[in-house]
Amino acid sequence: MTITVCWKWVAIGDDSDIEDARWAGVSAADEAALELGLELEPFHGDVTVVCVGPAAADSALRDALAAGARRAVRIDSGIQMESRSVADAIAVQAASSDLVICGDYSLDRGTGSVPAFLAHELGVAQALGLVELERSTGSTGDLRGLRRLDGGRREVLDITAPVVLSVEGSVRRLRRSSLAAALHAKSAAIDVVVSPADSVPGTTPVLVAPYRPRARALPAPAGSVLTRVREILDVGGHHGASGEALELTPSEAAERIVDQLRRWGYVEADSHTTALRQDAGTDAPR
Amino acid sequence: MIALVPIRHGVLPAGGEETVAECDGIALFAGSGVADLQLDGIATSAHLVELGEVEFGRWAAALPAVLDAITGGVPTSVVLPHSPDGRDLAPRLAASLDVPLLAGATSVTPHRVRLARRGGLELHEHHPTGAFVATLQPGVRGAQHFDRGVTVTVHDVTASPTIQCHDVHVVEVLPPDVRTMDLSEARRIIGGGAGLDSEARFAQLDAFAEQIGGLMGATRVITDRGWVHHDRQIGTTGVVVDPVLYLSFGVSGAVQHTSGLGAPDHIISVNTDPHCPMMAMSDLAIVSDANATLDALQGLIAVQPPDVETS
Amino acid sequence: MTVDVDVVIVGAGPAGACAATVLARAGHSVVLLERGAFPGAKNMYGGVVYPRILDQLHPQWWEEAPVQRWVTRRSTMILTDDQALTVDFRSGKWGRPPYNGATAYRPDWDHWLAGKAEADGAQLVCSTTATGLLRNERGQVVGVTTDRPDGDLTARLVIACDGVNSFLAKEAGLYGEVDASNYTLGVKETIALPKDVIDQRFAVRDREGVDIEILGGTSGVNGGGFVYTNLDTVSVGVVLKLPKLAAQQRRPEEIIATLKHHPAIAPLVEGGEIKEYSAHVIPEAGLAMMPKMTGDGLLVAGDAAAMCLAAGIWLEGVNFAMASGMYAGEAAVEALRANDTSTAGLAGYERRLGDTFVLRDHRKLRRAPSLVLSDRVQHLYPEMIANTVERMFRVDNPSPKPGLRRILNQERKRAGVKLKDLARDGLDGFRTYG
Ligand SMILES: Cc1cc2nc3c(=O)[nH]c(=O)nc-3n(C[C@H](O)[C@H](O)[C@H](O)COP(=O)(O)OP(=O)(O)OC[C@H]3O[C@@H](n4cnc5c(N)ncnc54)[C@H](O)[C@@H]3O)c2cc1C
Ligand SMILES: Cc1cc2nc3c(=O)[nH]c(=O)nc-3n(C[C@H](O)[C@H](O)[C@H](O)COP(=O)(O)OP(=O)(O)OC[C@H]3O[C@@H](n4cnc5c(N)ncnc54)[C@H](O)[C@@H]3O)c2cc1C
Ligand SMILES: Nc1ncnc2c1ncn2[C@@H]1O[C@H](COP(=O)(O)O)[C@@H](O)[C@H]1O
Repeated sequence: MTITVCWKWVAIGDDSDIEDARWAGVSAADEAALELGLELEPFHGDVTVVCVGPAAADSALRDALAAGARRAVRIDSGIQMESRSVADAIAVQAASSDLVICGDYSLDRGTGSVPAFLAHELGVAQALGLVELERSTGSTGDLRGLRRLDGGRREVLDITAPVVLSVEGSVRRLRRSSLAAALHAKSAAIDVVVSPADSVPGTTPVLVAPYRPRARALPAPAGSVLTRVREILDVGGHHGASGEALELTPSEAAERIVDQLRRWGYVEADSHTTALRQDAGTDAPR
Repeated sequence: MIALVPIRHGVLPAGGEETVAECDGIALFAGSGVADLQLDGIATSAHLVELGEVEFGRWAAALPAVLDAITGGVPTSVVLPHSPDGRDLAPRLAASLDVPLLAGATSVTPHRVRLARRGGLELHEHHPTGAFVATLQPGVRGAQHFDRGVTVTVHDVTASPTIQCHDVHVVEVLPPDVRTMDLSEARRIIGGGAGLDSEARFAQLDAFAEQIGGLMGATRVITDRGWVHHDRQIGTTGVVVDPVLYLSFGVSGAVQHTSGLGAPDHIISVNTDPHCPMMAMSDLAIVSDANATLDALQGLIAVQPPDVETS
Repeated sequence: MTVDVDVVIVGAGPAGACAATVLARAGHSVVLLERGAFPGAKNMYGGVVYPRILDQLHPQWWEEAPVQRWVTRRSTMILTDDQALTVDFRSGKWGRPPYNGATAYRPDWDHWLAGKAEADGAQLVCSTTATGLLRNERGQVVGVTTDRPDGDLTARLVIACDGVNSFLAKEAGLYGEVDASNYTLGVKETIALPKDVIDQRFAVRDREGVDIEILGGTSGVNGGGFVYTNLDTVSVGVVLKLPKLAAQQRRPEEIIATLKHHPAIAPLVEGGEIKEYSAHVIPEAGLAMMPKMTGDGLLVAGDAAAMCLAAGIWLEGVNFAMASGMYAGEAAVEALRANDTSTAGLAGYERRLGDTFVLRDHRKLRRAPSLVLSDRVQHLYPEMIANTVERMFRVDNPSPKPGLRRILNQERKRAGVKLKDLARDGLDGFRTYG
């Protein structure tokens, strides 16, 4: 029995390069995954951290070793691989683990699909997108997790190993490693495994562009005729956003904000006070 | 293309209706309590399959046969909402069907899929040549009302040999936390993002929000850092809000954030990057340091006489 | 007593990295502690380094140093609200080895320099803050405490290179009373522009770069400004006298914004996107505020010892930091060899500082900070000089051209400058810079 924790090495800046360890790192969620792994070590065995990534990622793996992971494996790969190929490569390393813990989504691809692919490949259960995780105190299951659903709902899960878990970054904070461990890890060995070829055909994007929102279909009008008229006449509304950006100093900015809130009627028009205007019930700014 | 909408106790997930609209009304509703769904106007050709409680391993193993039955074995692309259930089911289904996964799309057609990447700041366009499984980001297109009426076909998986899968067990589903309820109903919201430089800024933001009768929310980056509790996270995987007024400080406006933002009448943003999506959708977009602006606002607000009700 | 390492160096800025290199090369075990995620991660400065001191430590440093541009053009500008007088100098020599000044980013420069120390055998530990000094029963410094669990690290010698406001030097009692008027605040914006636009606006090509130092233009707060070119960004900043800044209630970013709108500056920077805004305190008073550099088991180098030279048209700190770090390293090697790291055993450090440019430049320019930041130089002279020049070049026909002496006298009176003060400042200036 062992625990595998998956760490993804990602570039942090806009145009930074994942080969440059200064501007790359792992997500808060991946760090939380390691902290959980270390907490569960007495019950589920030694922690191995696995990363599919370039040599620069070794610095993160050393941090993981300093924090208490027993072993670090880097599956050497300089390029962004398909989620499913990543999962297949990790699965080979994690075959004997009964707990695999991931972050809920990576900062660049950000689909949260690697953990689910891993569960499929390993043929085990999955409990993904957890916001809380504790050892089970009742008789059923090893762990008790709280998973975020839509609409603010959450579900309580009874989790029995073998399982792949993914957690949000707020679940735990990674412990600080001791000074001796940090010094020692500088020369610790990392097992480097040659990257397998993509196990599924790649789907390369034909075009990469900055995000722009797509036009939205508006729901049928609801509410009074007056609101409806207002909606139609409302040129200041966000669908017709002016698009111009004002470059202001912070104090000008603050004044402009208060002034605008006043003009929209969210605060009193009295020029010397920013008194709050709360029209009971409705918040009709005009 | 066919939409696949995971159902819990007869409730549609976030983005469920939009996904059906993206597939022109053709959809498979799978899960628990599917018979209770009211589908008129939402879909034109609805297929229902009762699968019981959510168990992703079992569902992913059972669904290919149902899809086969619907499409007559012709490889067809499947679109799920990128809701928590859709997100977690889609990869397993793609692996079962052995087709590529295109997750987190902002638009899906059989031969062109646009994906939000790098935390929603980039769009990657793919031109698939075969069938695929995609997930559609909730909130990107809006739902559509179909006037044609709906034909309903019920499918049955109980006849097929039981599938042995190890899954986790749902103990209970908790309703929205009261702590998040107030945020989802707030009319005025002040949101803070990674442009704010410290945890203390969020206390400041909170105080400012209170001054103008609103509530404070934050982006995922901030809740991940633990600066703000995750029940204050605005967005598709956090609290979906619907304010009249939204003020953002140092928020880039990633699609996962803005999709959970409803349609505010008024948006003010302060950001050093004039071109980010949050600024593009603002009525008042101010290029400035959000931290210093917040300090300056505090100055403006702090000089208020305690008696604010004068008019 | 056994110790963990020979030397602990706190702070992997230019001073710490050079000290570590010297010690590691001499075969000593060295741990270099840095609180940032990597050396230079959060360090800021104006943008020009004078690396000649590296000839000794890293010969041919220019072949590998992460330089943005070589400064081949240096301008000094005097600004009033709508006037600018510029003295501009260019040298082709500065664009060839061994070069003179270079613009560089600190995250690149410090990372490179600390990397050299690591390659020589120093152990760098990042994300680790030294929180205090360990002392033995005799009061001798024998190591540091850090913010990590089990974070104590013992050593035969500690070198504090922890930058301005050195917490360690203060804890060791090496500083006297701290006076806010000894510090200035430096704030800087980095503005992105395409390389060819920068080349055109600043009239340079390839790797050539420009360094502009500015007197005036700081919205009435005593201080100065600067504009430096990087490859595809321009740094614009101001250095502001702290008590004045507080008294005027101006925000530093507003002062930068005003400077950016000055008719002489706006055409250089407009249209660019702000990539970064940063602020940092600078020890400004030079010699007047330097602490004791040596304690029992402790050396202090770089900004931690207030070695930044901020004397008006000179703003040099990195070279002083690299040099003092190197000399601290050399003195430490001597002391360790003699097995005496007491104040007496470490005397070689201050001797080296005294014999080289480090303290000589400071002595020579000791009057410069107070002169350049004085109210007259700040508020009266720029106007007087600019108006004088304006009248000299103005063609006021049919009036005949007035003589320079007469204009100067009239403008001096108009600006309210006493002849006596002008003469004294002139003499001071001559003594200082001459
Ligand atoms: C599956 C999935 C689900 C997600 N769910 C959510 C969700 O529910 N909610 C959510 O919010 N996110 C969610 N995210 C994350 C989302 O993609 C973005 O990463 C996140 O919203 C970005 O947060 P941000 O705007 O704070 O940070 P960034 O994108 O880093 O933006 C920071 C902004 O601050 C600006 N800035 C920097 N310095 C300053 C300054 N001094 N003054 C002013 N402005 C400054 C920058 O220009 C930038 O625009 C999800 C992601 C995934 C993949
Ligand atoms: C606005 C501005 C403009 C400037 N312009 C120039 C210029 O153009 N040219 C020039 O040569 N100089 C310039 N300087 C001065 C120059 O930046 C400094 O003199 C120089 O950086 C000093 O180097 P140092 O190694 O002594 O200290 P620093 O560079 O400050 O390095 C100190 C290091 O110690 C670390 N540290 C601090 N405390 C601890 C701790 N407790 N534990 C662990 N690590 C710690 C810090 O993170 C940092 O890495 C400028 C300064 C400012 C503020
Ligand atoms: N290249 C990789 N190496 C190791 N773990 C990964 C890799 N990619 C993704 N993961 C894990 O899967 C999680 C979700 O990532 P993603 O599916 O890319 O959103 C991450 O938080 C990691 O724990």
